Amino acid sequence: MSKAENIVDLIDAGIRAETLRQKAIANNIANLETPGYRRIDVKFGELLAKCLGSDEEFDLSEVEAQIFRPKQTPVKSNGNDVNFEAEVGQMIKNSLRHKAYIRLLSKKYKQIELAMDVK
Amino acid sequence: MEVESSFGPIDIAISGLRAQGKQLKVISSNIANARTSDAGNGEPYRRLQAEFKTDSDLGGVKLDKIVTDMSEFLRILDPGNPMADESGYVAMPNVSLPVEMINLNIATKMYQANVAVLRRYQQMIETTLELLR
Repeated sequence: MSKAENIVDLIDAGIRAETLRQKAIANNIANLETPGYRRIDVKFGELLAKCLGSDEEFDLSEVEAQIFRPKQTPVKSNGNDVNFEAEVGQMIKNSLRHKAYIRLLSKKYKQIELAMDVK
Repeated sequence: MEVESSFGPIDIAISGLRAQGKQLKVISSNIANARTSDAGNGEPYRRLQAEFKTDSDLGGVKLDKIVTDMSEFLRILDPGNPMADESGYVAMPNVSLPVEMINLNIATKMYQANVAVLRRYQQMIETTLELLR
């Protein structure tokens, strides 16, 4: 299958990644004061970019978002590195991306409907 | 490699929120210790001050370091105090409450301003997304 055809699959993978990231952010905020907790994040954009950039064929369902611990943010005195403001920023970005994907998906469905209506 | 760069204003506003949050911490420490005559080193508490810096153009703000204010200690007359010197004066922290309250107001307003930027940018993106309806 050519890469351009599976827009719905691409958006689907994106929405799944954003859903997972939303969970990760919720988990980080829930552990705002947990001693020793390090924040988690989701890696997806890089993985997808790598797949799209390579010449080999790939299956989108195999491009899974991954949870990882960046361990880059400064650690507080209790060994915790979650910053509330930073998580809120992540959440805003995440919901905007999610909204964009949903809108693109509904646009695509409208296109398909339009094509079916043509007599 | 930076995959996305269209959310710059959000990151900048968040850096402002974080910096002002730390500034608020410094102010609350100053206010809480406004009458701490012993900071553990034989001296009264010294007022702390946050210094901000920016790394690059459009890089947001960050708290560079927290410096101590080396101005004179306040001296109050309290002959009954065991820590008083021979003329009856006790050294007190160089914290001035009115100054701290004004700084508190500024920090709060700055925080609100950054939230306003964040909210406005979010609305802008959502306006763009309306085009996709």
